[in-house]
Amino acid sequence: MPEPLPNVRLQLLNTPENVVLVRGMLMGLAEALRIGESDLNDIRTAVTEACNNVVLHAYSGDPGPMEVDVHIDSGTVTVLVRDSGSGIGTRREGAQAFADDAEESFDVSAVAPDYPPPGIGLHVIETLAHKVEFRRPPSGGTEVRMRFSLPVEALDPCSDERGLATLALSETPSTAMFSIAPLSLARTILPRLVCALAARAHFSTDRISDAQLLADALAAHAAGAISGGQLSVGVNVGPREIELHIAPLTSGAAQHLLEDFELDRLGSVVEKLTDRRHVATIGPYEALTLGLRDSR
Amino acid sequence: MVSASTTATPSLRFDRGSDNDVTLLFTRWQRERDPAAHEALVRRFMPLTRSLARRYDRSSEPFEDLLQVASVGLLKALDRYDAERGHSFASFAVPTILGEMRRYFRDCGWSVHVPRGDQERALKVRSAQETLTNEKGHAPTVNQLAVYLELDTEQVIDALQATEAYETMSLDAPRPGGEDEGTSFGDSIGHEDERYELVELDATIVAALEHVPARERSMLHMRFVEELTQTEIAARIGISQMQVSRLLRRSLDQLRALTRDSVSEVAR
Repeated sequence: MPEPLPNVRLQLLNTPENVVLVRGMLMGLAEALRIGESDLNDIRTAVTEACNNVVLHAYSGDPGPMEVDVHIDSGTVTVLVRDSGSGIGTRREGAQAFADDAEESFDVSAVAPDYPPPGIGLHVIETLAHKVEFRRPPSGGTEVRMRFSLPVEALDPCSDERGLATLALSETPSTAMFSIAPLSLARTILPRLVCALAARAHFSTDRISDAQLLADALAAHAAGAISGGQLSVGVNVGPREIELHIAPLTSGAAQHLLEDFELDRLGSVVEKLTDRRHVATIGPYEALTLGLRDSR
Repeated sequence: MVSASTTATPSLRFDRGSDNDVTLLFTRWQRERDPAAHEALVRRFMPLTRSLARRYDRSSEPFEDLLQVASVGLLKALDRYDAERGHSFASFAVPTILGEMRRYFRDCGWSVHVPRGDQERALKVRSAQETLTNEKGHAPTVNQLAVYLELDTEQVIDALQATEAYETMSLDAPRPGGEDEGTSFGDSIGHEDERYELVELDATIVAALEHVPARERSMLHMRFVEELTQTEIAARIGISQMQVSRLLRRSLDQLRALTRDSVSEVAR
């Protein structure tokens, strides 16, 4: 049986600042699901450990993809952290080392002042998650699957693979890619992600807040325009500039989406918040690009 | 005896010692209750304890409190560890220390109370933002705030979000601007309402804006019609940019809910 699509997927590079993004996503998730502070801390700490492993070990210090999926089922939240490290060297040093730690108790003499010894991360994950699995998908790499038992209701996951392939649909490479379903999750998660990325682009707090208003508007109005029930957004970060690619949208939906942002006598909120808007046709779909600058 | 020479200099050996030394220290502590051995063990595993406490440092508790709780976990682990079982002490201590911290979080009813650390941090960020805005003439970046406050950028972003935290307003909810926020700029901007020019619009949507409190309506007008920046709006009505941000966010949300409701009513 094929695995159901996730409620949230983040496609990122394995940089430390992207781990911050993952943590922001988890905070938004907790807000939407009303997960309490102490459970959130457990999840955040365990997932941070798994991501740190991808940052430090999966690609022997080289950049490589880091993918984080969240599945929300009745009574459980499952977080998968995946890398695609391959080749003997990478496996031995990264993925393999992490998996090996599972069986070995680590060497106490490796305790260096103020630095966590290797393998501690695994103990942390095993203590905090209710169930942990390590997998080697046939496609390569390593996947850490952490299950947390929590009083949550199941949510509809993404229903369409296409949304998960947004990266391929946008011409320019993205700093980060998110797919979120249902939109009730996007309402709390997307603004946090966009806010963190705007901060990374050295926006002033003033403009960060505008970026957040834009993310709110997207999450609130996307319902009629998206394909497959999930909101997929690719973000590029430049100096004092961020660019959001929203795709795939159903044909004709991008313009409709822009008009939907019209609020009362205020005109199009999105037009006022952004510096650039562009609609592209990609096969049977559309992609909406929104650019924000901070030109203070 | 071999052990005699080792026991003579425990304090010099604790930090670079081998596993054998650790085993010996445990024997001396657990069987003989030797306080010097206990101290040596505590000092040796303090870095581990500290690194575990730091993993929760993004929580809303002050780091010193976290470290104290983690240390209690370490002391428990030192007493309960059984070297005969063949596991290293650290692999036993990590779950014990983390368990202690989690219990602490649950016991102090964290999810119920407003996290103290978060709130304090948010206030600091807000006042730093005002100071830096006055200095530079424009709103600071997150990096500038982080340097100024000696926080890392993630903490600043979280603090911004903490003040941003809002709940989707229902129509029945009391209007914002009760005790905590209205007084500073409430009445002074009432006259701005006259500026609104009614344009030809769907009657249901016009009605929606009427439901937004006057001062929020005025702020929406300044941001989206006059196209002032949030900092300029803040200066004009004498509140912080963070408050402007929060109120704009909330009123846009409210406006959307109102519009959606009236549209669905018409459709029916």
